[in-house]
Amino acid sequence: MKKYSKLARASILTLAIASVGTLAACGSDNSSSTSDSSSGASGEGKVTLRFFSNLPDRKSGQGLAEQTVIDNYIKENPNVKIEVETLAEEPFKNKLKAYMSSNEPIDITMVHGGAELNTLVQAGYVKELDPKEYEGEQYNFLPGVYKSFTFNDKLYGLPRNSDYEVIYYNKKLFADNGVKVPTTLTELLDAAKAFRDKDIAPMSINGKDLWSFGEMYQNLVLRYSGNQNLILDAIDKKIKFADDENFLKAAQYLAEVRDSKMFQDSFMTADYGASQNLFTQSKAAMWYMGSWEAGMATNEALPEEFRQNLGVIKVPVADGGKGTADDLLAWNGGGYALVSSSKQPEEAKKFFDYLMSANQWAKTAWDTGAAVPAQKYELTGTESEVQKTLTDILVNASSTSGASAIDYGTPKFKDDIQNALGKFFSSKQTPEELLSALQTAVDTQ
Amino acid sequence: MHRVFRNKTAIFLFVAPGMLLFALTFLVPIIVSGYYSFTDTLAPGTKVTMVGFDNYTNLLFHDERFWLALRNALLLGIGFIVIQHPICIFFAILLDRLGGKAEKIFRTIFFIPCVISVVVISKMWLSLLDPTFGMLNKLLDLVGLDSLKHAWLGESSTALGSMLFILIWAGFGWGLLFYYAGVKGISEDLYEAAQLDGASGFRMHLKITVPLLKPVIAVQFTLAIITALKQMETVFLTTNGGPGDSTQFLAVYLYNKAFSASQYGYANAISVLFVIVCLLATYLSNRLTRSDATDF
Repeated sequence: MKKYSKLARASILTLAIASVGTLAACGSDNSSSTSDSSSGASGEGKVTLRFFSNLPDRKSGQGLAEQTVIDNYIKENPNVKIEVETLAEEPFKNKLKAYMSSNEPIDITMVHGGAELNTLVQAGYVKELDPKEYEGEQYNFLPGVYKSFTFNDKLYGLPRNSDYEVIYYNKKLFADNGVKVPTTLTELLDAAKAFRDKDIAPMSINGKDLWSFGEMYQNLVLRYSGNQNLILDAIDKKIKFADDENFLKAAQYLAEVRDSKMFQDSFMTADYGASQNLFTQSKAAMWYMGSWEAGMATNEALPEEFRQNLGVIKVPVADGGKGTADDLLAWNGGGYALVSSSKQPEEAKKFFDYLMSANQWAKTAWDTGAAVPAQKYELTGTESEVQKTLTDILVNASSTSGASAIDYGTPKFKDDIQNALGKFFSSKQTPEELLSALQTAVDTQ
Repeated sequence: MHRVFRNKTAIFLFVAPGMLLFALTFLVPIIVSGYYSFTDTLAPGTKVTMVGFDNYTNLLFHDERFWLALRNALLLGIGFIVIQHPICIFFAILLDRLGGKAEKIFRTIFFIPCVISVVVISKMWLSLLDPTFGMLNKLLDLVGLDSLKHAWLGESSTALGSMLFILIWAGFGWGLLFYYAGVKGISEDLYEAAQLDGASGFRMHLKITVPLLKPVIAVQFTLAIITALKQMETVFLTTNGGPGDSTQFLAVYLYNKAFSASQYGYANAISVLFVIVCLLATYLSNRLTRSDATDF
């Protein structure tokens, strides 16, 4: 009897220890990374900052520019270590939300202005910034660039680029096939037909991600109406999509785009990378994308022949439309923010301010040809042709929208409007049906 | 030792850690999920407003996409049962009859898709089915059937079919493994006896192998339904539910609602219904396949 109870006690004890061990193991994942950085901070004056970005390619384009600034900072502050975590666009957005849910103590994160940032703000995951601190020469932000980063008159992040939609095109494919570079929407359809006849994909687009459809629709509404605020007013419920004929005209044009097979055959399964690859391998004549891809011209990983033939044009004007070619669909989408749960907020802010200085991110991004900054930059004279054209487009813009329509409402609205457009492009829906789907997305947001 | 196991306190203490772990990792999340399903919160940490049964009524009566996702998941389940499993059984019997080295080699080959990462499988099929570079369309071109060419995963009309094909292909190895084990468990004497009685080939397997596989089939039936309902990774990586919702599946829809549309409360309502649907499906499939064990 005595012997058994001893055994029982022993086994219970073992189990108890084992279970404590298991539970402790469960929690270790979170605590180890944080204790690392905090012990680093207190240890020998070493600081480890966690930086989360949507630019996985650190060897070219914006990723290289971002990494260059980080390296510069580490060089100037040898006691600081910056751990960079990167994911491609869509997984990045989702993981950031997961980080937000668990209040993960990263220090600085890339953020998308508008709907995405709004959620982070509501969860209190990003820190409020004082716009006064970012006035003046050191930062040199262009006027009006905080729009997508401001909620209830409070600023929560700083933009890194001036984003605007353009069409990149392959000069050689146009020349070899005798196709005119389009300046009107009708010519764009003609070009699509001409390339289709030669079995070349006229235009590449990232249909799986859906958001480019949204930008395109906003762009078309702008071309027909000449009014930057028209679509934003519709999202603000000031007017209805049925009230203004330009919404219908833009939708009708989208239907023509769809029916003329302007996009590559695989457009509905193509994500960002796949759509870009098709274009950079000269398998598609055009790519509907934004100014943030300026770096393609200088990216040595891309074929030389492609880089030499890369051109960029403004989105063509509508025949009889009120918009001009200089009405620019421009906004400030990407940026950086400070995370509230940071373990070393002062060090994080120091780096953040350094990153956003005009002579760091803005200068590096421009000099490496990666992007068009949201801050004043100076021409160096060594710019690529693409960069020069992009600068011209921005400088000569007679109006800019300040917001991307899909990001102008709630995240649910964004999801709904994108899905409505996805459905439109993959079915035989009529333009009228599209408008009613858009109206529903606005009404139920 | 017997006394230890008869001692109620000891039993409780032995079971407690396991139960605790179960409660923490299963019950608590489900309860929290249930709580969130009555709110309209955007994400954990944001403002929580109770909305009562709004999420559920919207989901059940106003959300076509949810029903579409559920329908597709059930279609996949049926696809598994009607297409995948008979093929699995057929190949299990073939493998068993093959014997020797060939049996081992083919066994390995058939199981390969199950060890390859889902990401690789998804990207591979995206490439194979690509309308421009894909092998399938090139093959069709080669044999002069170019009228059958499609953007397989990118067209609403063919996307669901292609997706079901990929998923059935990818899960084939697991099904085969189970049935193969079942076939291996059937005594050789039975076949000999049947042969003496004049039975052979197809008829013999239909009358002997299949009935004796019943317990395996019953388990596989339930597993198939659950796998179909839980399907997520391959869809997420290839079409993300598109084009135009034609390959929308329950788990992908739930994920996108929670993380892309920031409708966290709503997504939790979906997940609660999801659990209920899974339980219901398990119960029904158990009822359907329950029968007395076949004796021999």
